[in-house]
Amino acid sequence: MLKHNLLLFLRNIRKHKSTFLVNLVGLSTGLACVLLIYLWVNDELSVDKFHANDHRLYQVLRNVPDSSGDINTNESNSDLLIPAMMAEFPEVEYAAPLMDDSSNAIISTGDKTIKGSGKLAGKDFFNIFSFPLIEANGDQVLRGENSIVISKKIALALFDRSENLIGETVNIYDNTDGEALYAGDYSISGVVDTEGISSSLEFDFLLTNELFLAKRDPYDAKWNSNGVNVYLKLKEGTDATEFQSRLNKFYRAQLEVVFSKKYHHYIGNMFLQPFSERYLYNKFENGVQAGGRIDYVILFSVVALIILLIACINFINLSTAQASRRLKEVGIKKVIGASRRNLILQYIGESVFLTIISLVVAFVIVLLLLPQFNLITAKEINLRPDPELISAALIITLLTGLISGSYPAFFLSGLKPVETLKSKLKTSFGEFFTRRGLVVFQFSVSIIFIISVIVISKQINFLQSKNLGYNKDHVVTFLKEGKLVENSETFLKELKRSPGVLNATQLEGNISSFDNSGGGYKRKDRPSIQFTFARVDYDYVETLGIELKEGRSFSRDFGDEGSKIILNETAIKTMELEDPIGKIVNIRGQREIIGIVKDFHYQSLYEKIEPMFLLYLPEDANRIAVKIQAGREKETLAGLEKLYHKFNPGLPFEFEFLDDEYQALYTSEQRVADLSGYFAFLAILISCLGLFGLAVFAVERRKKEIGIRKALGQGSTQIGVLLSGEFTKPVLISILIAVPLGYLLTQNWLSGFAYKINIELWYFVLASVVALVVALFTVGTQTIRAAYRKPVDALREE
Amino acid sequence: MLLELNNIFKWVNSGNRRIFLLKDINIQVEEGEFISIMGPSGSGKTTLLNVIGMLDNFDEGEYNFLEEPIQSLKEKHRINLYKKYIGFVFQAYHLMDELTVYENIEMPLLFKKYSSSERKALVGDMLDRFNIVGKKDLFPTQLSGGQQQLVGIARALISSPKLILADEPTGNLNSKQGEEIMELFKQLNEEGVTIIQVTHSEKNAAYGSRTINLLDGRMIKD
Repeated sequence: MLKHNLLLFLRNIRKHKSTFLVNLVGLSTGLACVLLIYLWVNDELSVDKFHANDHRLYQVLRNVPDSSGDINTNESNSDLLIPAMMAEFPEVEYAAPLMDDSSNAIISTGDKTIKGSGKLAGKDFFNIFSFPLIEANGDQVLRGENSIVISKKIALALFDRSENLIGETVNIYDNTDGEALYAGDYSISGVVDTEGISSSLEFDFLLTNELFLAKRDPYDAKWNSNGVNVYLKLKEGTDATEFQSRLNKFYRAQLEVVFSKKYHHYIGNMFLQPFSERYLYNKFENGVQAGGRIDYVILFSVVALIILLIACINFINLSTAQASRRLKEVGIKKVIGASRRNLILQYIGESVFLTIISLVVAFVIVLLLLPQFNLITAKEINLRPDPELISAALIITLLTGLISGSYPAFFLSGLKPVETLKSKLKTSFGEFFTRRGLVVFQFSVSIIFIISVIVISKQINFLQSKNLGYNKDHVVTFLKEGKLVENSETFLKELKRSPGVLNATQLEGNISSFDNSGGGYKRKDRPSIQFTFARVDYDYVETLGIELKEGRSFSRDFGDEGSKIILNETAIKTMELEDPIGKIVNIRGQREIIGIVKDFHYQSLYEKIEPMFLLYLPEDANRIAVKIQAGREKETLAGLEKLYHKFNPGLPFEFEFLDDEYQALYTSEQRVADLSGYFAFLAILISCLGLFGLAVFAVERRKKEIGIRKALGQGSTQIGVLLSGEFTKPVLISILIAVPLGYLLTQNWLSGFAYKINIELWYFVLASVVALVVALFTVGTQTIRAAYRKPVDALREE
Repeated sequence: MLLELNNIFKWVNSGNRRIFLLKDINIQVEEGEFISIMGPSGSGKTTLLNVIGMLDNFDEGEYNFLEEPIQSLKEKHRINLYKKYIGFVFQAYHLMDELTVYENIEMPLLFKKYSSSERKALVGDMLDRFNIVGKKDLFPTQLSGGQQQLVGIARALISSPKLILADEPTGNLNSKQGEEIMELFKQLNEEGVTIIQVTHSEKNAAYGSRTINLLDGRMIKD
């Protein structure tokens, strides 16, 4: 029986290749999409779940009200908390602080050097978290001030091995801060292997927080200072809620001593969040948990389900639409003794089998798309044949097969043999209506996606081509690190002499996105003006090609530039200064205005240009910016690297072009653009499959009508037009639905930008035309075939 | 007695009117008979055959098949009855285009409990008997009409039914092929198979031992 059904299935495929292909494409893209989303969701859900005592791990958070009455949820705490808590609460098995520090460290042994980022952690960090340690346990690492734990990656880079390293020495050097607090030699107490672990805590090395405590000003040891994240492992059986309320009481008691009574309402509350929930439930609004990454997990899961459902419905549509072809088969089988069960099993079996083939194709698609998918989602997902994935894939496949096959199976098998042998196919109005509704839905989604793709790409294009008020082309930036810190002047001088270098300067922060705020400017009876400011060196304005409106820029030709200030146009306008050059203003002290620059975009275009100023503070600079000659990039960069290595031998020269840095501001927009591009393609593809199903169905349904029309002398073209009209209608309805929705959606997205494109009519026209053309093309093949069929073929069956 | 129809009525409602497809049909069929049902188009021949073959139900009356009252049987039971005792032959052959001659003949056995070696033996016998061994791997579309009908009959006979129901078995065939098929029916009948055929042709009806004439759903002559 099985062999028989298999034969029938395969011969049917051979005979009706296009139906098979349409089904295969529909189901496999649907499945591929679901698999990708499954992989992503699974990856998100697995983050931080690998710790052995996950259910006992917590992070201490605080809800603190600010002066405006909003409650901010804060993860940093006073370093006094842990010792006090350990003494007071026996149910805390371990507690460890974690501090971000040395994010730009240089780690070296005698001859090898690598960059990395590290954190300061309490001694029991590894007793709380189950990061796998090589040749050490949690009680042996991070004991003593010169103890360090390094990652396997760092170990391999420095020592070419990850074992037998306990007791080896490495040197840590902070490359942007000459007097790094934690610079020095450290002895390796453990190597941690983080490979294949998905953790929200990431580090290349860990030092002990005793370093911080030892060098800290004792004056800062206060309950109202903060700076450390606190992690806990509670003893088995502890009631976390009850513990939390006692901890909060204890914490408030400490602060009530520090704060004077009238500020007691600023103390806030301390609470615990399970550590592994931190990653997904990371958003707090006014002190209340308000989702976070979990929102995306849910959103994408729903999207996956919808896609799969649509693919299934398409499959159902197509199979019922073409049921008439198989009616005879059903009739014969019933007449010669097949029971309903036999038939249901056969059709469900067929759809499950088809889904399994689609699954194989889907895996191939996933394999091909995974690199791109990882790029877009910034993940490192691998397709490994672990039992979980396989069982998930099989369950999805079986479900899809069952859903897709159930309707045709029950529909066909329930027909009476006499009817089926006469090839009579009744269709209810409801069925037809659902089919059309589905097509309208699918096309609305597709058109919205097309509109989004157009608007997003236009906006990104706009962002990238907008005149920013400075010239971001051919500017290279890199960290002022290592020996450059002390020798910046010499370095800059030599830099400017290098061939291909047009100008060079140093500054603090990033050119395209700095948000140093400060320096209020007091006005009578009005709120003071808040500024953004940049700490810069000579040649800043020139190197970046910022236009001067009046006055001059910082220059070597004048002494004492430290007491001068350069403002932007907006600042002058807001301050309502007339004839400002030479005036003395009080912004971070008394300063003489020496120049006014035209407004330039020092932040992403989400932000409006606000009042800002430039100060001459080269000693605060941590970045070098070099303007190089166009067309000579390669040799100039080689020269830069050589010069860099003269000062920093052994350090890797890592630079960035300013326009790349600028583009990186819009990574998430680019991501949205990429994703909506893919989704648009997918939506159109699936919609076309749906429409194709509808076309096949309608042609089948109107076969006799077409035959009669032709027999009565109506031309093929007229019939083609007649049939196509039937399919244009749902698409036109979709356009009516999608255009306003698309407008609202894209308008909403654009409203986040301070500088944006105007939405134009042709975006919608283009999207609609694309949908219509694609739709007509899809049904065209069917209608033309129907229109040119000999009328006798259609009429003979009666 | 193989089967017995007593006062069978079948109708459809069209608006307020009831149109009778079968009206007061009374037939008794003994094993070994060869009956022809005749009558003009629309007289209810095929409907009667379908009722006898349990492919279609009726609205009133009694139908006993081998002493079993069909009207009160469950569908499953009914299927088992005709699976076991009845074979169908159609004017349009109704072979499965996607299956070969061999597979078409084998198909009824798949819905019963036969081992694959039994099936092989039975299909082999049937191919031998109708002299179509050489065509067993061909598809129906590669055969002539007469050959297709031969396969249709072979398929009907494979599960050794007591009763063959044939709905204008020669309707799509030329006269020579038709004669051959009728000769085959005659031979089968002589071997003990009961046959009921619907036909338009007096010549074909003459092969039978008894003729039932229908007009507007009524029996006018037995």
